[in-house]
Amino acid sequence: MTIEAPSQLPTDRHLRRYTDIRAMLPDVDQPTPLVRVGGFAAPEFELFLKLEWLNPFGSIKDRAAAYMLQGLGETGALDGKELVEASSGNTAIALAALAALAGTRLTVTIPDGVPEEKKVLLRMLGAEVWETPDDLCPVDNPRDGAIALARSLAASEGGQRYLMTNQYENEHNVRAHYETTGPEIWRQTEGRIRYFFAGFGTCGTITGVGRFLKEQDPSIEVVAIEPQPGHRLPGLKSFAEAKEPGILDRSVIDHVIRVDDEPAYATTKRLFREQGLIVGPSTGAIVHAAVEFGVDRSGVAVGVSPDGGQKYTSYFADLLGDEGLPAF
Amino acid sequence: MTQTTSTQVQVTETLDCSGLLCPLPVYKAGVVLNRLASGEVLELIATDPGSLEDVPAMARQRGDTVLSVIDEGTAHRFLIRKGTA
Repeated sequence: MTIEAPSQLPTDRHLRRYTDIRAMLPDVDQPTPLVRVGGFAAPEFELFLKLEWLNPFGSIKDRAAAYMLQGLGETGALDGKELVEASSGNTAIALAALAALAGTRLTVTIPDGVPEEKKVLLRMLGAEVWETPDDLCPVDNPRDGAIALARSLAASEGGQRYLMTNQYENEHNVRAHYETTGPEIWRQTEGRIRYFFAGFGTCGTITGVGRFLKEQDPSIEVVAIEPQPGHRLPGLKSFAEAKEPGILDRSVIDHVIRVDDEPAYATTKRLFREQGLIVGPSTGAIVHAAVEFGVDRSGVAVGVSPDGGQKYTSYFADLLGDEGLPAF
Repeated sequence: MTQTTSTQVQVTETLDCSGLLCPLPVYKAGVVLNRLASGEVLELIATDPGSLEDVPAMARQRGDTVLSVIDEGTAHRFLIRKGTA
């Protein structure tokens, strides 16, 4: 995957020196950090966050995007075509960056209500952004308008112009987490992990990591976090209103915890203010669920922090209101 | 299917979505309707059978009016008047 230009200073991961940003993509020898979240749960419930926003393109979706593009490259399916993907932003951003590096055009169908910050980043990366109402297809796809639109683009023009990476059905999405995120967590916790927390979204993370961890130790409990219908937690999906992705494997999930927006955002604010963790709202949802789950439990727990807070400043401005402004 | 016709309608813009699968015609129609003024009329040509359900549903949601649907064999020709919303 990594293409290195001739250099007197070649890539040296130990020195964190790279001749191509793609060499920064994580793996078991170059994992994203695990950071302890102190003071949110009893000391016996040792909660860590895996900071996926320290990936080169800013989120956990860097892994899936790289694996999906690599898969397409290996089969030659992408030759001469443009990419299309439905994404609430993070997958699209990673795909856009990787596509730009590969000289491939990308069209993104993005659900209504995604923060402006993400849409602007995508356009800066050269992607074409089609903002899509969730209820675009009230007849057949009541809450998945962006996915339906991406599918119709891929099928249009005889299927000759566009290729859909289709993160919701693409097994490379699962494989990325089975081969990287899962082994990283296992190694970083020295095999002591007892509980794993991740959100329902494309379900690549929870399926891939869950599958890997269960193979190491079937007693590890895998916990999925699901938002409520009508939520405002980008990246997460409520399957009460959206179709379950084909790659979701419920056999690796032990518990599902539903989280309301309000405690998710309150926890996000606490993570900023008490831990110095500049995280996105889905991290708040995951930590809130983990802390509730951890009452009366002990052992090492790992939650995913899918992305950072910089892409949600407009949401946070709504949350804060006048807070932090001069009171006179 | 219901076939209605409308006479003396001034078409403001025509959008040919022949060969495109739903919801692409609905999406493109929405983009064009957004830039039309209230009362102006979009002529939409679509070949996907799903458009017979999706286009009227879209118009209802947006507050627009389907003035006519003309079946022309494999194609359907919709005249949609933009509402006041």
